[in-house]
Formats: sequence, structure tokens, C-alpha cells
Amino acid sequence: MGVAISIQDLSFTYAETTRPALRNVSGEVEEGTYVVMMGHEGAGKSTLCCSLNALVPRFFRGEYAGRVVVHDVEVAKARVAEMSRRVGLVLQDFEAQLFSTSVELEVAFGPENLCLPRDEIERRIDRYLRFVGLAEMRRREPASLSGGQKQRLAIASVLALEPLVLVMDEPTTDLDPIGREEVLSVADMLRQERRTLLVVDQDPDTAVDADQVWLMREGEIVAQGPPRQVLTDLALLESCGVQPPPTVALFQALGWPGQPLTVEEAIALIREHNLARPRPLQTPTLPANGRPVILELRDVDYVYPTRAVEALKGVNLQIREGEFLALVGQNGSGKTTLAKHLNGLLKPTRGEVLFRGRPLGEIRRTEMARFVGYVFQNPDHQIFSNTVREEVGFSLRMAGMDAKAVEERVAEALAVVGLSGYEEEVPFTLTKGERQRVAVASVLAAQPQVIILDEPTTGLDYRHQRSMMEMLRDLHRRGHTVIIITHSMWVAAEYAERVVVMRDGQILLDAPTRTAFAQEGILAEASLRPPPLLRLGNWLGTSGIPLDAMVEELRTG
Amino acid sequence: MNIFLYLDENTWFHRLDPRTKIIGVLLLFGIVMVFNHPLYMAAVALGLVLLGATAKALPNFWRMRYILALLVVFSTVLWPFFAKGPTPLWSWGRLEVSRESLMYAVAMGLRLASFVAAGLIFLSITTNEEFTQGLIRLGLPYPVAFAFSTALRLVPTFAGAGATIVQAQISRGLDVESGNIFQRAGKFIPLGVPLFIYAVRHTNMLAMALESKGFNPGAPRTWYLNPQMRRADYLALALLTVAFLAALFLRLQGYGQVLPRL
Repeated sequence: MGVAISIQDLSFTYAETTRPALRNVSGEVEEGTYVVMMGHEGAGKSTLCCSLNALVPRFFRGEYAGRVVVHDVEVAKARVAEMSRRVGLVLQDFEAQLFSTSVELEVAFGPENLCLPRDEIERRIDRYLRFVGLAEMRRREPASLSGGQKQRLAIASVLALEPLVLVMDEPTTDLDPIGREEVLSVADMLRQERRTLLVVDQDPDTAVDADQVWLMREGEIVAQGPPRQVLTDLALLESCGVQPPPTVALFQALGWPGQPLTVEEAIALIREHNLARPRPLQTPTLPANGRPVILELRDVDYVYPTRAVEALKGVNLQIREGEFLALVGQNGSGKTTLAKHLNGLLKPTRGEVLFRGRPLGEIRRTEMARFVGYVFQNPDHQIFSNTVREEVGFSLRMAGMDAKAVEERVAEALAVVGLSGYEEEVPFTLTKGERQRVAVASVLAAQPQVIILDEPTTGLDYRHQRSMMEMLRDLHRRGHTVIIITHSMWVAAEYAERVVVMRDGQILLDAPTRTAFAQEGILAEASLRPPPLLRLGNWLGTSGIPLDAMVEELRTG
Repeated sequence: MNIFLYLDENTWFHRLDPRTKIIGVLLLFGIVMVFNHPLYMAAVALGLVLLGATAKALPNFWRMRYILALLVVFSTVLWPFFAKGPTPLWSWGRLEVSRESLMYAVAMGLRLASFVAAGLIFLSITTNEEFTQGLIRLGLPYPVAFAFSTALRLVPTFAGAGATIVQAQISRGLDVESGNIFQRAGKFIPLGVPLFIYAVRHTNMLAMALESKGFNPGAPRTWYLNPQMRRADYLALALLTVAFLAALFLRLQGYGQVLPRL
């Protein structure tokens, strides 16, 4: 078997920047192997992906040194269109990759560019749509597909070029758990076909099956090796802003023998060495139930006027002051629709929504921003000012507050999100994690009693996810009621006190976090699964949620 | 959010070659322009409704019912004051309505609605790619046709992003509904800037994705869509040409006219 990709001493600095995005990167990928790349935001993963199909340095200009050879072609000397026969690149943002009005034409686009005859294009459409499981959707409009289907279509449209190497840059980041599994199962099939596959992913679960894991930090590759070697070096993972496999972390903290990468492995090891004895699980009840209800939904139905789809069906929900609540469920289960009722962005078709017993309809918009703040998923959907100061002060100025008071509030909000001293920065130039914080600060400045966040951790690396959630915990401690919508099970498990599981516009489960995650059967109905540590905890019968609590519990017996 | 009007049916109309559809809709526009007598226009409008029904495009007519009704009503109310006719009906100072101007107004209302209806039929039976393909076969260079169809394609994407941006800013207390026109214009900055930046980012990503799939506007390429001019196409074009010429002939003979203007 030959070498598919060979990278020698590659360095690259984007034009008009000074910090190199890649520094002396070297590596080799054997034909037919599966490589997973991990690293923090800005570590150079995407740049490295783009350097394989000549987007770097052809599309993105800059200072380029070193040599990248893919199947005997030196990339820097080729054009992107030529490289497309050798390297297929699937990007994270599937929305931006799809542009045709039907699924089949989307797949046809690549082969058309290769000047293939019509019957060959037809054959490839057939073959690759079947491969990604979209054969039934041939005539559908891509916009009408679910997230996971869209990303699978994006993969099919790249596969149709029959590239020798397939590179996927964070293909699952924007997806819900089902979409993620759909995409990963396609990756798995490709692996079984022994195709050369390079995937960037944040989740240690994905990396477990790789032949090689490449760990990147600050533009350099700091580790290359089989998963069992790379994923067990917790300090190194931590320094790269990568989440370590929680089961490995648990075993190391307890000093137990073995480095289990998966829950199944961990259970086998515990059995084999008789490390702990499973016991019946005792779940705590929710504290703080005496506090007054701050938001309430009564028999709420909601039908989207344009689609005539019932997005909420008879939802009843009481949220008490000072709660930290996580809304979980698949895309389209009604989480966001429900949340948008809580600040009056949507008005129920039937039923009512109350804020401290007052119907939302009676509350003015500008007033509402002070009661319930809503942070949208993508900070770029709201940032528009030239300075962070202006951005954060926007809602206050809209409410007609005087300049001095605005100044004070802005400083306060920035301190809470950890961005003090950023007042004069241009928001657009900040990192994604920082922009996310600016968005939170701009909602916080109005000092809302309740703050709702839609996917606060999506698109952030592990390090930024942690610090974002720590900040929310801090807000919660200050007395704010915090509601998050999330796909990330570990985020919900470690930070929320209460979990509301939605399915098909209804509340399927509403319980204290530990209790909710003990109900694996009900969660499965909503296509959800507890995070690895809690699956192990459910088996062992431990009630602690974060790693330390679980370690403590297992130590004391 | 779907602003596209294409309806995925399999009628005789849908199967026509895109060239036929493009030339056909132009001929329909021509026929719509010929008469200005309300009865003749009514016949044209009825014809278009029948065509629409055959093409299974009526759901789109229904979707656009308010716009269609609005066009008829506004034009009927406003035109009488601008067109002058010989038989006065009513006057008030310099304002004057005549029998002919009223009829002309009704005809103009029907003409506008028919115009929209012809366009709707075209959009209901033609996908974006077919339209592009048709333009290319009619001689438009590929890069131009591609840019055109991509621009069309991006409209719903940007509209969707725009809707989210509006909600995000409303959640922060932006009040888009009050204030005079200047105050309102100022409120579009919080909406326009994020949309603009989104558009730039999105287009950049799209360009990357296209290049990665081997796109090269100057290079030769093949087509999966392979429309063919068949007998039905020639027949349809012949019928429409005959209809157009017949209408033109009638009008030149003085039929279907209330006022001697377009």
C-alpha cells in the first residue's frame, strides 16, 4: 500500500496576518487509512484541510513554505479544479455547500465539471445517493432536508467526483445527535471500503475508531499516533483544548488499571478486575421548588402559519425563579419554537404564556428585553456595531437609557462574560467564542431576569464550551434563571438542574437532571443518549454527575 | 421558508424544453399586451387560468391571490384618472372619469394580473437549473447564466437569514414598527450589517465549495440535464405564435380596443 498524502515541513501564513496558521507541519497518510484530526479553534485544522486540495495557497493566498504531495501530485503547483479529482473536501457549513434545486442535480454538479458523459453522471448519482441513503430523495429540494440529510448530500456530491482522498472538516458540528450518527455511519462505510479518509472532529468518540489521531495546537502537530496512545495523554489533550475521553479520565483519577476509550470497554474492565460493584441508583429530588413561578406555558399549541405544521401540542411548563433548565431533543422536536414563546417572539395559536402571572401579550417589546433575554445560536446574526461597547449597549439605548448608565451597565456585562477591556475592539475580528460572549453580554446588559440561550456551545471548541458554561453557571449563581437549548448531552448533564426532553412538539420527560439521564429508555424514544460518564454511572448506580463527584462517590464506596 | 414557485408535477407543460418555456412565456406576455378592451382582456385572462389549470399551477395562483386582487383593484381605481375618453361619466374640478377610461382601467387591471399569471405559470413549471439551461441553449455564455442562476438561488437563503436576524434584534429590544420614516431607516442598520456580513461569508464558503468540486467557469463541461426540442415543443411554439399573430391582426383591424393606446 502506498502513501496517499505526504506533508513535508508545511508552513502557511494567511495574507494580511502575521501569525502563521501552520508551522512546520509534517505527516504521512497511508492509502486506505482513517485519520482523525483534533485541536482547539484556530489550531490550523481547517487550513491543513484546505492545503490538501490547493484551496491553500490558491484560493487563500499567503506565505507558503514546504511541500504537500497527494497521490504523486504536488498540491501547490496544481489548480483547485485539478485537485478535485484527487481530494474531495466536505465543509462544516453544509448550508453553504448546497445550491441546486434538486438532490440529483446537486450530485451531478461535480461530474459535470469533470466533463463526464451523461450516462456516467447518471450512474454516479445513483450510486452515491444510494451510498449515503438518499436514493428516495432524488427529486426533493435540498432546502427541505434535515441537517443530517443535507450533510450526507454534501458528502455524496463530493464522492460523486470519486476522489482518491476524502477530507471532512467538522462535518457533524452543526448537527443534532441523529444527524451526527447518520454522517458518522457514512464515514464508517467509507472506512470499510478502505478509502483514505481524513476527518476533523471534536468528539473523542469519533477518534476511537481511527487508525491515526493527529493532535494540533497553535498551528503545529503535537502528536500523531494510534488513538489508544494519543487519547490517553490527558494533559496533552487538555493543552490542545480537546475533550479527553471521559472514561479514561475516570480510570486515571481513580487509579484503576486500563485506559478504556469507550463505556463498553470500561464496563468490561470493571467486571474483569472487580473494581466496583453496581448498586441501585438513588436519584436526588429537585431542590428549590418553593420559589415562585417566573414563566409558565399553559396548554400551548403552535402552528407555523406558512407550513401548517403543528410545532407544539398542548405544552404545559412551569419555570421557577433561579432554575437552570436544559431543553433537549431532536431538530424539529419543538425546542426552539417553545423557547421563542418564552419571550414573545412567537405567539401561541392556542393557550397562553405568562411572565410572573402576566400574559406576555400585555408586555411591550422594549420592556420584554429586560424580563427575558434571548441569545440566538449564531452571534453573527446580531452583531452589527463597530465596537464591542456599542454592540453591548444597543438594547439599553433602544430602551432610552442615558449615556452614563449605559456605560456602567456595559462594563458590568462585559465583566460577567470575561471581556473587560474589550470595549474598543471591533466585534467582527474576535474569535467565534469571543463573539458568542459579546452576544451574551449584549443580552445581559439589559439585566434580564431570565436568560435563554439557543445552542450556546455549538461551534465552540471544548475549552470555549467549558468557559461559556462556567460563565452561565456564574450567572445562575447570581440569581438569573437560565434556560439553554442544547444538543450536547454532557453540557446538559453537567450544568443544568432540570432537563426537559421534547419530541414531536410535546414534552416527553421533565425531571431533575440526574433522574432524567437515568431513564435511558425514554431518552432513546427521543433519539437521545446520556453522555458516556452517565451511561457508566447508570450501570454502576452512582448519582454524582461531574467527573469529580463520580470519583468521590466511587472512592468512598 | 420557500419563495420558489416551482411545483414538482409531471404535466405536458413541465416536460417542455426550457427554450420553449422561455420563448413561450415571452409570446404570452406579447398576447397580454395586445388588447385594452376589458372583454377581450377577460378572454385572455380566462385563457391563462385554463393554461394554469392544465399546468397544475393553480396553487400558486391561490398563493398570490392577494397580489392578483390588489393589482386589479388598484388599477381599476387609479387608471380612470389618467386615461381620458370621449364619453364623460362624472367630473369634479379637473378630475374626470369617462366611460372609456373606466373600461380601460378594468382592462389594465386584468392585463397586470394576466402578466403576473403568465409569469406564475412559467415559474411553476421551470426549475432554476432548467431556466439556466434554457438561457445557455439560447446562446447566453455559461458563466453569465451560472451567475444569474446562483444569484436567484441565494435569495431564499438570504431571506431565511434575514428572518433570523430580525428576530434576534427584536429580542434585544429593537422596535421596527414605530417611528417616522427616517427613524425607521436608521433601524435597518442593525438588520442590514449582519445580513451583509452573512452574505459575504456565505458567498465565500460557496465559492470554496464550488472550486473544491472542480468548478471552472471557463472550462468545457457536460450537462446532466439534457433538454430536447420535441414535436410537442414545436407544436406549442407554433400555437402560441399563431395566437399572438391572430391577436395582433385583430387589434390592427380595430377590435379589442377602447382607447387608441397600448
